[in-house]
Amino acid sequence: MRPTTARTAPPVDRRAVRSADAAVAPPSQWDRLERQLEHVRKPAQYVGGEHNQVVTRWQDADVRWALCYPDAYEVGQPNQGIQILYEILNERSSTLAERAYAPWIDLEEVMRREGIEAFTLERHHPLWAFDVFAVTLPHELGHTNLLNLLDLGGIPLRSQDRTSDDPIVLVGGHAAFNPEPLAPFVDAAVAGDGEEVVLEIDDAVRAWKRSGDAERRTLLRTLAAIEGVYIPAFHEPRRTPDGRLKATVAVEPGVPSLVPKRTVQDLSQWPYPKRQIVPMTETVHERFSVEIFRGCTRGCRFCQAGMITRPVRERTPEDIRSIVREGLANTGFEEVGLLSLSSADHSGIGDIATSLADEYEGTSTSLSLPSTRVDAFNVTLSNELSRNGRRTGLTFAPEAGSERMRAVINKMVSEDDLLRTTEIAFANGWRHVKLYFMIGLPTETDDDVLAIADLGIKVLEAAQRHGRANKVTISVGGFVPKPHTPFQWAAQDSPEQIQRKLELIKSAIREHGNLRLRTNDPEEGVIEGLLARGGRELADVIETAWRNGARFDGWHEMDTLPVWLAALTEHGIDLADTMRERDRDEVFPWDHLDAGLDREWLWSDWQDAIAEKELDDCRWIPCYDCGVCPGLDLVHDTGWDGTNLPIAPSPSTELPTVAARLAS
Amino acid sequence: MRIRVRYSKTGRVRYVSARDLTSVWERALRREGLPIAWSQGFRPHPKVSFPDALPVGWDSTGEYAELTFTEDLEVERDLTRLSHALPAGMGILRWLVVPDGAIKLAAMLTHTLWEIELDPTSGSRDLPARIETLLARTSAEVTRHRPSGDRILDVRPAVVALRSSDGPTPRLRAVFSNDGPTIRPSDLMVALDPDDDLSVLRYRRVAQGAGSVDGVVEALSGELLPVDTAAVAEAA
Repeated sequence: MRPTTARTAPPVDRRAVRSADAAVAPPSQWDRLERQLEHVRKPAQYVGGEHNQVVTRWQDADVRWALCYPDAYEVGQPNQGIQILYEILNERSSTLAERAYAPWIDLEEVMRREGIEAFTLERHHPLWAFDVFAVTLPHELGHTNLLNLLDLGGIPLRSQDRTSDDPIVLVGGHAAFNPEPLAPFVDAAVAGDGEEVVLEIDDAVRAWKRSGDAERRTLLRTLAAIEGVYIPAFHEPRRTPDGRLKATVAVEPGVPSLVPKRTVQDLSQWPYPKRQIVPMTETVHERFSVEIFRGCTRGCRFCQAGMITRPVRERTPEDIRSIVREGLANTGFEEVGLLSLSSADHSGIGDIATSLADEYEGTSTSLSLPSTRVDAFNVTLSNELSRNGRRTGLTFAPEAGSERMRAVINKMVSEDDLLRTTEIAFANGWRHVKLYFMIGLPTETDDDVLAIADLGIKVLEAAQRHGRANKVTISVGGFVPKPHTPFQWAAQDSPEQIQRKLELIKSAIREHGNLRLRTNDPEEGVIEGLLARGGRELADVIETAWRNGARFDGWHEMDTLPVWLAALTEHGIDLADTMRERDRDEVFPWDHLDAGLDREWLWSDWQDAIAEKELDDCRWIPCYDCGVCPGLDLVHDTGWDGTNLPIAPSPSTELPTVAARLAS
Repeated sequence: MRIRVRYSKTGRVRYVSARDLTSVWERALRREGLPIAWSQGFRPHPKVSFPDALPVGWDSTGEYAELTFTEDLEVERDLTRLSHALPAGMGILRWLVVPDGAIKLAAMLTHTLWEIELDPTSGSRDLPARIETLLARTSAEVTRHRPSGDRILDVRPAVVALRSSDGPTPRLRAVFSNDGPTIRPSDLMVALDPDDDLSVLRYRRVAQGAGSVDGVVEALSGELLPVDTAAVAEAA
């Protein structure tokens, strides 16, 4: 299905609709959409009307946002970022925020045929009618959906073709830490936490609309002055004669050459979500989610999230309890997720787990801790949280199979820890352990890969000692190097290499029927890696891939890799060159976006990785100068004070009781 | 305490599938803190049961559910709260506390009153003649196309009564017996309109209960809802 520009929508006075004191609401797409809903799968995802949606009259707002997660509703709806910004913006009396998701391909076909424009869920307003089309990019596999939404939403694809009658296209989220492949398509990017900066952007848009200045550039200049906002049009890449990036420089007077990320220092000022949307159709996570802390300094070298969200900022146990209490009352969810990048690392996690377990014991509310550290304390925590429920599955992420490989990636877990922890888990009645691993890591040998199978088999033996029906699953994904991490210099394995390594694991576990292996399609990492470390040269590739049908690149139902490979060829880009190891002094397309991490520190950590040297967490060792705190004038905000060091992996196989653990 | 309710499913919420409806009820009950009972077992679920499923996208004022509570409610007050906690388009229309030994809810819903709204621009003038022809037959087989394969169904035995009415929006009302294979009003339309001349705007399940040639006696209220839409229009 190729995009077409032919539309049958009636002519509308766009300027009147978009003006601050517009008496004219934009045309709702609902009536035409409704007639088509019986022809598409999962129509409930397009109707809105969920509990806690906020519907503001168009005329009652003077700045209007469409917040978008560029994937299907079932994936995008649970996103916390969108939820938080939706509440914060809608709490402003003269701001309106609605939500938009990517239409699945069956609806897209209908929309193009019937001239239905991409819409928000609250009132089915077309995207072009909003002042800001704000899109979160949690990863790189939504880029083609973003272009598709612009096209379907009546917004010119390229920033340079937009006028003051078009929305500001704003991107945020983790992948916005390298927005360069999308540079021509977006007007502004925000790296970092969104809570404060969206309000500043909202103010700037309001002031600009009230001023009567019709110059879009005036607004962009104002936005560029907001800390954390990057305007791609005000920067240009400079290249050497052979096409290598020399630098990305500011070309607009007064615009900073280095754009810092935005960080909220005090999370207690932002106790969101309060009124989380309650979906009426199945989504990937149906629960009330509370972020118990933001940031992580475990220092896993592959982990972009852990690097770009530093420092650690905890919510207090009291705040968490009150957010949970209020959130459950407002939503009726049956599950609470205690989210963060490594939830067991919260300084008060024992208190949080026990008090929540006490509060909800005997009710039908269940508690969950999605990301689990490999140690016995985690089993204790999970036991606490599962008082109401079943002890089915526990997930651990050793990430690599061999001790050597874990030293390279700085995942400080020994095989003994892992085996002891899983033994304790099965002894405590857990019936299924899932282990997450990556392959294609720097310096990896076949022995390292086979160690994954070995470890899986050893854990399976422990499982079987405690029950013949117990199961172990090893989940193996291909590593994708990401910007702003020590591994940003690393080579990425080709899909063929990944496939070969998966085969090694498969044949090693062949005789162990109760050991299950889950893998991702090795091809998916190719597009992700390409876009993660690419620059503006990829913009035309993205557009070509989209025009030739690439959508939903992260879905295994959609085999878009051939389209991407053809687009790369068409634009003369060698895929292998994008996957190679980078040189020390190589200029990266994201160098002018400052996550606070000192490039020299990243390089030395990369060298330490190759030398198999581990680095402990800076919450409990002296600062090693990654650069974030002093550079951005931030500090860790945690309850760790040097006297209450985190619970180390259990020294014996003796099972710690809840009481003993909490008494210690 | 067991309570049976008749509720509506109209507007946008009618795209919510029967499978997802349980959690919509569950979350509304939890928000209101009502003492719904939970099933025993490995994966407990709230005791809200539905006698049958409405096709996605169809409108209804004739949905039913049975809710089991662990404590007695102050019924009028608590069900009003629950009704307000349901998404827009859903609301409790009638309720009945279930006495001990009552027959099963499904057994009370032997007939369904359906209403079919037709697009006035599509030819509907010969509807009475079409209806007469259909009712004169003893059998009317139609093919229902499904992804899993076509199915041949006899519509006629299920049709207890069928009337049409003119007006700005032409309507059909039909009383279907719920015995035997499930016949839907869309199957009836295939029988009435094999050439697909008529364009259906909306299918609505009006109510369920005990049926006759006059209409359906609604299960919870005992009210007769007539199949003759002219009578409905007059009453309005």
